Amino acid sequence: MRNFKITTMKTWMKIFLILVALGIFGAGLGYKFVYNKPHTNYEKATADFSLAGSELFSQFKGSTQQASERYTGKVLEISGKLNSVETPDSLTIAVFTLDEGMFGDEGIRCAMLPKHAENISQFIGTDVKLKGYCSGYNETDVIMEKCSIIN
Amino acid sequence: MKKIKLLVIIVGVAAYTGYGQKFITKNGYIKFYSETPMEKIEAHNRQVNSALDITTGDFVFKVLIKSFEFEKALMQEHFNENYMESDKFPDATFTGKITNLSAIDFTKDGKYEADVEGDLKIHGESKKVKEKGTFEVSGGKITGKSVFMVHLADYKIKIPNTVVNNISEDVQITVDVNLEELKK
Repeated sequence: MRNFKITTMKTWMKIFLILVALGIFGAGLGYKFVYNKPHTNYEKATADFSLAGSELFSQFKGSTQQASERYTGKVLEISGKLNSVETPDSLTIAVFTLDEGMFGDEGIRCAMLPKHAENISQFIGTDVKLKGYCSGYNETDVIMEKCSIIN
Repeated sequence: MKKIKLLVIIVGVAAYTGYGQKFITKNGYIKFYSETPMEKIEAHNRQVNSALDITTGDFVFKVLIKSFEFEKALMQEHFNENYMESDKFPDATFTGKITNLSAIDFTKDGKYEADVEGDLKIHGESKKVKEKGTFEVSGGKITGKSVFMVHLADYKIKIPNTVVNNISEDVQITVDVNLEELKK
């Protein structure tokens, strides 16, 4: 009887220890892949839509609500003639000018990934294809983030 | 009588040429900062639209919620999906006026304290706010800065009980915009 008690306690102990180990392992996985999960790699992400920049802009300007539901928060591949590159602070922004409004030029403004920031200037005045994350339309411009050069 | 006529013309011309002098930026900066003993959370947005009319004192900014960048991807996801509901409310705006316009000379270099009053719209909720800021005029450019607190409950932003210790009820918003004259 006494022996039996000890062995059952041991079994309980074993189960308990296994549970603790699993718990620690699970917490570790959770920390790495949930709490500390990496940001999406937009350079490698597959584009949800691929279209001409002018088309994207006119859809947003024409029917903001519909275009927003369709494109905001998505990875887009856009193409068109690059008009200029701005470098405010640490950012590099590729600008496609497509219209003029009350606050000056309107179009698509693409914040470049650091890796693609240096090379973008060489495309000024020529056709370029960019991929990035569309964060929406602010009534003057369509905003893209984390952009990379495709061509 | 002649003198009065001349004065009317001068004032008229001055008002006309000065009217609608706008300063804008599309690369304004807004920071969101929350601090609790458990966790510090900050997010940055560097594509903020802002415009200032130096003759009327009208001041606006507009920011896309999905452009806020967090250090942790999970926080960014929660911020967009659970708290700000950015699919439903894609932007936040401020539309207001400088109320002490006479104390600021936008044509002269210097640093000026500004009182700004208007509507702040976050998460689809609009609230009247009154905040202080500074405008620094230098070489024809205007830098506007302000730091103020936003009480999340005022904008119907709910913090779930599970993370109530991690996110502050009042978050600090920093606005920093470098405005340049809009050339027509």
